[in-house]
Parts: sequence; C-alpha cells; structure tokens
Amino acid sequence: MNATIAVLLKDLRLLWRQRSGWLSAATFAAISVLTYSFALDLATGEVKPLLPGVLWVTFLFAGIIASGRSFAAEAEQGTFDALLVAPAPRSAIYGAKLISNLIALLLIEVAVLVMATILFNTALLSVELIAIMVLGTLGYVSLTTLLSTLGSRVRSREVLIPVLALPLLTPLLIAAVRATGGALDLPTGGGDWLALLAVVTAWTSVGSVLLFPFVAEQ
Amino acid sequence: MIEARGLTKRFGRALAVDHVSFEVAEGAKVALLGANGAGKTTLLALLSTLLSPSEGEATVAGHDLASGGSALRASIGVLTHQPMLYEELTPEENLRFFARLYSVADAEERIEELLRAVGLWLRRDEPTAVLSRGYHQRLAIARALLHRPPVLLLDEPETGLDREALELLDRLVLHAPGLTVLAATHLRERVASWADGVLELERGRLLAGGAGARAASTAAGAAR
Repeated sequence: MNATIAVLLKDLRLLWRQRSGWLSAATFAAISVLTYSFALDLATGEVKPLLPGVLWVTFLFAGIIASGRSFAAEAEQGTFDALLVAPAPRSAIYGAKLISNLIALLLIEVAVLVMATILFNTALLSVELIAIMVLGTLGYVSLTTLLSTLGSRVRSREVLIPVLALPLLTPLLIAAVRATGGALDLPTGGGDWLALLAVVTAWTSVGSVLLFPFVAEQ
Repeated sequence: MIEARGLTKRFGRALAVDHVSFEVAEGAKVALLGANGAGKTTLLALLSTLLSPSEGEATVAGHDLASGGSALRASIGVLTHQPMLYEELTPEENLRFFARLYSVADAEERIEELLRAVGLWLRRDEPTAVLSRGYHQRLAIARALLHRPPVLLLDEPETGLDREALELLDRLVLHAPGLTVLAATHLRERVASWADGVLELERGRLLAGGAGARAASTAAGAAR
C-alpha cells in the first residue's frame, strides 16, 4: 500500500509538471465536442440519440492520446526499471499507474460533460451518467495502462497501443454507449447494458492486474 | 553473497546467457568483462529480477531468485549507464520518492548525507533535467546506495563520469568496505585498481579464469 501511494503521489506530481501530454488530450476532447455540436446541430434537430456515441468516441481518442504518456516517460528515462527492481509488489506499481491515469482522464471527461451539457443543451451531469462514465473509464484505463506497459518497450508504441487496444475495447465501448443511452432515456434494444459494462470492466481490471507482472518483464 | 548455478536466458532461439555458474563472496568486488553482446547486461538483469531465467537458479544476499521477490530486491542496489531518475523532479524529490519506495526509516538524514557525499546538496532543489550528465550519474549513485543495500549490481557505471565523479564512484562504491559488488565494465585498465576478481563472458558463456584481476580468491568463476 505504501508503494502504491508513493508511486501515485509521484505520478500525480509528474502529471502536473508534464502537462503537455494531458493538455493535448484535453484540447482534442474540447475541439472534438465543439465540432460535433456544430455538425450535429446543422444535420438534425434531435441530437440526443447521438450523444452516447459522441461522448465515448471523444473519451476513447482523448484517452489514447494521453494513455501512453505515463509509461513512455518512465521507459525513456529508465525509471520503469528502477520501479521494477524496487521491493514493491508489481501489482502496486500497476495500481498506482492505473489510479493516476484514471484521475487524469476522468478530469478531462468531466470537463467534456460540462461542455457537452452547454453545447447540446442536454442535462448530462447526472449521478447515473457519471457512474457509467467512471465504470467505463476504469475498464478502459485498466486495459490501456497494461498495453502502455507493453508499448513502452517498443519504438512504435504510438501505433501499437491503438491497434491492440481498439479491438479489445469494442465490447466495453458497446456496453458503455448503450448504458449511456439508457441513462439518457433512449431506447437501448433491451438487455442490461450497465451489468454488461460492469462485467467487462471487472474482467479487464482483474485480467490486467494478473497480466502486469508478465508484461512488465523486459 | 551472489551464487549462480547454470543460469541461462534464451530470447527465442538466441542464447543470451548460457549455463553460467559462479560465486561472489560477501564484500568482494568483481568485474564482469566481455565484448558488446556477450551477455553482461542480461546476466545483471537476471540477478536484479528484471528478467526471469529460462533455466538455472541463483541466490543473491541469501534470497532465491525464483522466490526471493521483494526481499531480494530490497537487498540490491542497481546502477546502470542510464541514471534511472525522474528529470522533472529535483534531486531531493527523486531520493525522497525512492526512500519511500524502499521504506528507508531515516530517510531525511540519509538523503542529506548522500546528497552531501555526491556534491549535490547545494543543487538539491533544481530540476534534475538541468543537471549535467556527470551530476546525473552522481545522483544515480546516491539512489543506488540510498537503502544501504549489501549487494550492488552495476552496468557500466563509469559511463559519463568525469575524473572527480570517478573518484566518487571508487570511494562510495568500488572501494566501500563490506559492500558486495558485481560490475559490468569495458574499462579493463581500471579493473585492477578495484576488483578482487574477474568474470569474463563470451557469447553468453563464462570463460574459466578471466583476466585483469588482482586476486581471484573471492570470486570463483567456472564455465559449465
């Protein structure tokens, strides 16, 4: 626990000092939502059915822009090896990385929700919607954090992470989009999408914790 | 203090370390020699648990490589040609982070002691990124010694060091009494000044004997 807190506090401090990676993700998210708002406003008067897709596509690509940063910086400076030779359980290192990535991405997502609420004139800051966002983001970040570890060791990580992540994230994204639609009182075609989202998130989180020690090896 | 028996590492069909067996006695300073690609870095990565062996076993500071885990890692300090430091943190913040990771009880006193020893006390609040290559290595020495490990594994630690920093490395690490050191190096001409014994690798295999050592009594190298 001590190691998790130590790595987490260090990562949050570095997150603040290396703002460029996260700021570019946040800028992308803001421009993306703004562009969607103008495009959809012209195309149709009813934008609500499109909002789940707009939100999760924005979250997905903002996350991909940002997700590689944490481990990439560690790999470039050799500090990832310094973490691995420390007497900390490797799951503690993974846990700290996961939490710091989650905090950063959730901050961007909350800003996107506020912006979308204003631009689309739809109430998006409900407890249910935020819970779906946190759950979906946890599943998403757990997988991208694991893949970033793998990607940090190779030169073509900018290509590797999206290519590996997108197919693996498809079930999670479908469940998240449908569950978000349900929270916005849109027809979801039946099925408990929130339960499916919870199962997929649990699966990716537990699987990633178990796989991390193997992936972390050079 | 370090004992390897038939230690082997394969990457696919390539054999990076080939059934290496040796012992390094407590307090001994042993140089690990060999050309580029001989397997020195891989051997050190195996002993520091960065890699898992394909075959064989080893103990470091009494802890088995396969099951020692955290206890083994707490017993070693690792210093490589890459300083393994956070550029955006200051020297003091870097050491404070690692002290917390290693649960160093007297962290503040130890950090001050080491920063003074490596000549960085007056620059402790500057971002590490602005420090020269030599100062990075000085800070890396402090990081490796922070938790008072009984064993140090060094991979070309002299890289980037000026004469003054080399003297520092000699004083704090290579001539430190009681500290067990296994150091990969290319600087054969310096080995005689600090090493008690030599292990020489060639294409992953340990050559019997070795060259350049003052005395081989504390390090018995043997090829399979």
